Amino acid sequence: MTGRRTAQVLLALGGMFAWAVQFALIYGATSTLCGRGWADATLLAIGVVPFAILSTTLVTLVAAAILLIVSFREERRWRDQPSSTADAFLSQTGVLINGLSLIAILWNGVPAFILPACA
Amino acid sequence: MDFETTLTRLRGRIDPVLRCGGGLLWAFPLAGCSGVQSALDPAGGDAWDLYWLTIVMTVGATLIFVFVTALLLYAVFAPPERRAWLGTRRTIVYGGLAFPIVTLSLLLPYGLIVMRDVDAPQPGALQIEVIGEQYWWRVRYPAEGEQAEFSTANELVIPIGRPITVSVTAADVIHSFWIPNFGGKIDMIPGRINRFNFTAERPGIYRGICAEFCGAQHARMAFDVMALEPAEFDAWRRTQAQPAPEPAIPFLARGRDLFRSGGCGSCHVVRGTEANGQLGPDLTHVGSRRTIGAGQFPNNVGTLAGWIANVQQIKPGAKMPSYGSLTGEDLRAIAGYLESLK
Ligand code: HEC
Ligand SMILES: [Cu+2]
Repeated sequence: MTGRRTAQVLLALGGMFAWAVQFALIYGATSTLCGRGWADATLLAIGVVPFAILSTTLVTLVAAAILLIVSFREERRWRDQPSSTADAFLSQTGVLINGLSLIAILWNGVPAFILPACA
Repeated sequence: MDFETTLTRLRGRIDPVLRCGGGLLWAFPLAGCSGVQSALDPAGGDAWDLYWLTIVMTVGATLIFVFVTALLLYAVFAPPERRAWLGTRRTIVYGGLAFPIVTLSLLLPYGLIVMRDVDAPQPGALQIEVIGEQYWWRVRYPAEGEQAEFSTANELVIPIGRPITVSVTAADVIHSFWIPNFGGKIDMIPGRINRFNFTAERPGIYRGICAEFCGAQHARMAFDVMALEPAEFDAWRRTQAQPAPEPAIPFLARGRDLFRSGGCGSCHVVRGTEANGQLGPDLTHVGSRRTIGAGQFPNNVGTLAGWIANVQQIKPGAKMPSYGSLTGEDLRAIAGYLESLK
């Protein structure tokens, strides 16, 4: 029983972890790369800074999307058998949090397309 | 001051604000907000971008606020069967999730694009250096082609149509450089150079101010901005690079001698004389400035004399002593001499 609850909570909060990881990595990478004077270096024909931001964003975005899909499944499962309010609550929360995290991750990646790196 | 005048004054202050506010709300032409120091009267491209960002945000936020307030009142006062739809899942998903997500997803790139375009450095920009000091502005025009370098103070003269880069720093404490008609503020930090880029689009006189509290006379730290036609600007720049003219009449020569014997030259530069102090503003062409005392008074013999005799009453704590013991005649001579330095 406890094991299942832990998994449910982790699933519900998973998107937030993905978002936090993206946040830490893009801020860390940007300041480190800019601080070391790599503003103009390129990787696979795009600047290293946008590359770091976009690859981090993509990976965390996929993670958040998978979590969202799993949360949707869970939510549908518990909607059909309204026996436990805790299960229903956790699964609904999961959909909301993972969905919003997905959007937050997208928003975090937008500046890479618009602002010059290290300006 | 009696109650009536207080009221009239208060109304005088509130009226323009109301007119501006009304204009903002309806995005009417802002006749009541035009001015030499107004972010609502943009005079350059960047300032226009910021202006429209302000309008979009203000009008949008107002509409949303009114709409949500109306819904709130409806939820409280409408009969239960009519307000029921407010609590449905659909209303919450569309109104509470989809709407804010779409709105913010549009505003985010809009804000970022404004951020990118405003204050972008331009090739071939005219370079000007401004140093904030308690409580005035040291302004330097570096050499450019044939044009020799020179310094002035408390005024920024610029040509219209040409990109300008102002490099700013501070000599003592943090100041902030702000010309509302041309864009955002930029901090002046000791030991660090920040840059502010803009282009003036229409000629005119504008006013810049210090926008970071820097000491007791912070509020009396302003400067004039003169946006001129390019030819006029070139003429101004050529004149400024010249040394000070020789006094034309004996009375002005007496002023120059008093300037020397009074020790003014230990703080002020007058190029072409032995006055070469670096502590205060360059006075080589002080007579050509529109104002004195960092935007405090119109520039004429009377205000110059008043300034020299009374700095510490006008701007207590400014780093220039009052010369209150000069005779009236001597004071007029010095002031006349300075005024003749066009
Ligand atoms: C100890 C240094 C010092 C001495 C001596 C001094 N000044 Fe100044 N002066 C300053 C400083 C600093 C300012 C700027 C004050 C401010 O606006 O905060 C200034 C400002 C001025 C200004 C206004 C300039 C402008 O463009 O706004 C005039 C005019 C002036 N001084 C004239 C004189 C004359 C004339 C004397 C001699 C009788 C004199 N000063 C002596 C330091 C000095
Ligand atoms: Cu200041």
